[in-house]
Amino acid sequence: MAEEPIKVGIISCAGEDIPEGTISRLAVRRVMELLRPGQAVTICLPLFLAGNEGERDFARNFPTITVDGCDKRCAQWGTETHSGPVCAALVVTDLLEEGPALSGARSHHSLSDGDRAAVELVAARIARELDQAVAAATSADAGPVAASCGCGCATSLPAGELRLDGRCVSIAGLPLIFQQCRTDGLASDDPNLGHRLLEAVRVYYPVPAEEEAAYQAALIAAYRASSPVAGATSGGASPLLASDSKGAHSR
Amino acid sequence: MAESADGKVLVIPCSGIGKVHGLIAREVAFQVADELQPEQAETLCLALLVKGEEEALQAVRTRPCITVDGCPKLCSFKNVELAGGAVAHSVRVVEAFKDHKGAQPGTATALEPDGWTITCELASGVATEVAALSHGEER
Repeated sequence: MAEEPIKVGIISCAGEDIPEGTISRLAVRRVMELLRPGQAVTICLPLFLAGNEGERDFARNFPTITVDGCDKRCAQWGTETHSGPVCAALVVTDLLEEGPALSGARSHHSLSDGDRAAVELVAARIARELDQAVAAATSADAGPVAASCGCGCATSLPAGELRLDGRCVSIAGLPLIFQQCRTDGLASDDPNLGHRLLEAVRVYYPVPAEEEAAYQAALIAAYRASSPVAGATSGGASPLLASDSKGAHSR
Repeated sequence: MAESADGKVLVIPCSGIGKVHGLIAREVAFQVADELQPEQAETLCLALLVKGEEEALQAVRTRPCITVDGCPKLCSFKNVELAGGAVAHSVRVVEAFKDHKGAQPGTATALEPDGWTITCELASGVATEVAALSHGEER
């Protein structure tokens, strides 16, 4: 059976008040229609507040790139606050620091050649980030142990991955969270282990209420498997599939 | 109702990125703010409201707002209300299509002539509302 291709979410701020908002919106459309058709999905940023829970799950369901017009980073902030962490956050003004110069137009019918060149430049960068996100997701699915996430998204946090009901969930900083739990004296046989791990993870990562039990089970297994005495307490393949080499845990 | 004396009427589109309706909403706002009523209207990044930026919150709370939404999810309308703003007039692009059955408006990326026609009609109506609000008429 053919595997479903990995899709990447792209969220534009589409800021109406500045020309860069139009550039961000058009660049995302260009990626979706021309550069990476079928590989990208998008959602309207305001839907995180106006929409339902399913819409707010967007960034939890897709590796997500945000594209902001200015350094207020509304798309990044809105996505991370209302939906989930992003794997790359681009800012149009940063990408266009060395040109091309914008005309200042906001309407599509007034765009200059420079505006269109800017759209192409930003779209090309989004496409590169998309490719890296796909590569990272693919490598995470590929094997039981990966030395790094490989996505190049410049995150300094080591990621850990859990297997939940046959799918992989990447949690930034999981090895560090586990390390902190150990420092705090959380034993692998603590009767409230699942609850305490879930609460620790929840500080950094949104866990849907309906999946709490699955997350607890996966976290318990991963925590025990990553324990310095894991050999004495667990057997079989580790459900903690991947972690950065900088991760403090031992296997 | 919010006073307009301290500033221009805010025309806030949803800018929905998935359908042509969102692009029409966006272009309506630009036509009004840039061409039809530049002295009396301006737009505001809806994303700023989503972010909860204080300046944007203050703007929608103290000035008359016209929201322009592409689809029935009414993101602009709902976000302005969630921010504590009073929506003086709400435009629903999808409703305009009832008067343009069979129209080929274009895509979420670019408008065709039918799309521009609908945009101009809606912008004209919004400009009239802006003028009325600017003159302190209750709608």
